[in-house]
Amino acid sequence: MDNKHPYTVLAVDDNFLNLKLIEKSLSKEGYKIFSATNGPDAREIALREKPDLILLDIEMPGENGFDVIRKLKDNSQTNGIPVIFLTGISEVDAKLKGFDMGAVDYITKPFHPLEVLARVRIHLKLSIATNSLISGQADKLRQLTEAQTSMLPQPEDDPEAMFSVYYRALNEAGGDFYDILHISDRITGYFVADFSGHDIKTSYLTASVKALLAQNCTPVYSPSESMKMINDVLTKILPDGKYLTGCYLHLNRITGKMTIINAGHPPVACLPVNGEPYLVKSKGDILGMFADAQFGIEKIDTNPGDRFFVYSDGLVESTQKKVTWASGADSLLPAFRQIASIPYDRAAPALVDHLFEGEGTMPEDDIVVLCVKV
Amino acid sequence: MNFKDLASNLGLDEEEFIELVELFVSTSLGDIARIRKAVRDNNAADAASASHSIKGAAGNMGFDDIFTRARDMEMQAKQGSLDGFDELLSGLESMVKALDSSSES
Repeated sequence: MDNKHPYTVLAVDDNFLNLKLIEKSLSKEGYKIFSATNGPDAREIALREKPDLILLDIEMPGENGFDVIRKLKDNSQTNGIPVIFLTGISEVDAKLKGFDMGAVDYITKPFHPLEVLARVRIHLKLSIATNSLISGQADKLRQLTEAQTSMLPQPEDDPEAMFSVYYRALNEAGGDFYDILHISDRITGYFVADFSGHDIKTSYLTASVKALLAQNCTPVYSPSESMKMINDVLTKILPDGKYLTGCYLHLNRITGKMTIINAGHPPVACLPVNGEPYLVKSKGDILGMFADAQFGIEKIDTNPGDRFFVYSDGLVESTQKKVTWASGADSLLPAFRQIASIPYDRAAPALVDHLFEGEGTMPEDDIVVLCVKV
Repeated sequence: MNFKDLASNLGLDEEEFIELVELFVSTSLGDIARIRKAVRDNNAADAASASHSIKGAAGNMGFDDIFTRARDMEMQAKQGSLDGFDELLSGLESMVKALDSSSES
């Protein structure tokens, strides 16, 4: 509702005099009134004008008030408009039915115009407060999304890391996270994680994990030591029941050694410059749950041009199709063959396009895909 | 009938109220004609519907006598009886027409 414009009320009654009475009473107080003497006209006006409130008579010939309210509530464009219905004083069943169908209040007939005015005022106030609350929450979540996104490094800001990324949070507070770590000249760390849950807490925790990565992924510690120290802290700070799966790639471009630490995460896919794609399957405990967690460790000799894909389970899991990442990951291999000719800086989004748009399906979860080129 | 008080009770000024009275009279006379025809046709449902319309408007305007008469007629017609409706209708018509002369005075 915009304060610069008058609040609008749609009055619906087959009795023309009642409409006039409502119109006179409310327009004197600055409201703009739309009138309809039957259900179909009322719905058409509601759809076109999106009034701030509807006063709806129940007893009308043809489409009665219950029919109208049901159709208004079934339409996403009108279902948020508060409806006050007008009904006879003794019609308890009608009142209950009206509430059941989504009306916010009722006024008994014969009505007093000043009572109509008072009820219109109170329900507009409630509506304003509710809308303000919703809008405030949406703003906060938007700020959170922006803050979360600002923590995610972009490939164009860090060309030396030679990666591309696809990141999509289904909700404002996403559960997936990634980071790029410059451990030393030509040694780079790539971290992808998926938090359990997608609530607000999760988004705050991503900041903690980013700080832990910066503190612990240094040349002093081996990749597995880095993950162990991060796990030790997470087990202490994460709320009960909260954990994350993660995968840490430690790439030494001087020696060509890639170390992969897997903490309960889907397997990394390797797309060698010469050869068939394969999955690096290694079992490991999740992060943040067990103090004595054991992580999967794989060391691979790489060649320049080899590519590694780290991704969250949203890429391969489907509850609708009953596919878990353990079984879904294998189905990725043909997709890697399909995108093999696409340069690494477009490979991550290309993979997602191939998997979802090609099949005409929609992701069911947050997705992050990181493509790293050696 | 004191229109000034009735108007004030509804939060309207007298001029606005008289405008509504005139509308009430014209629509109610139309409804009375509908009832009369319904009586001729022995159609209780139509008589109830037209009585309901007069009742609703009269109640909102504060015309208690007309409201009561129209309500009783509606209830009787809903039970399927139009007995004595000619007399009831004449009385109702007189009450409505009296409003018309009041608003013109």
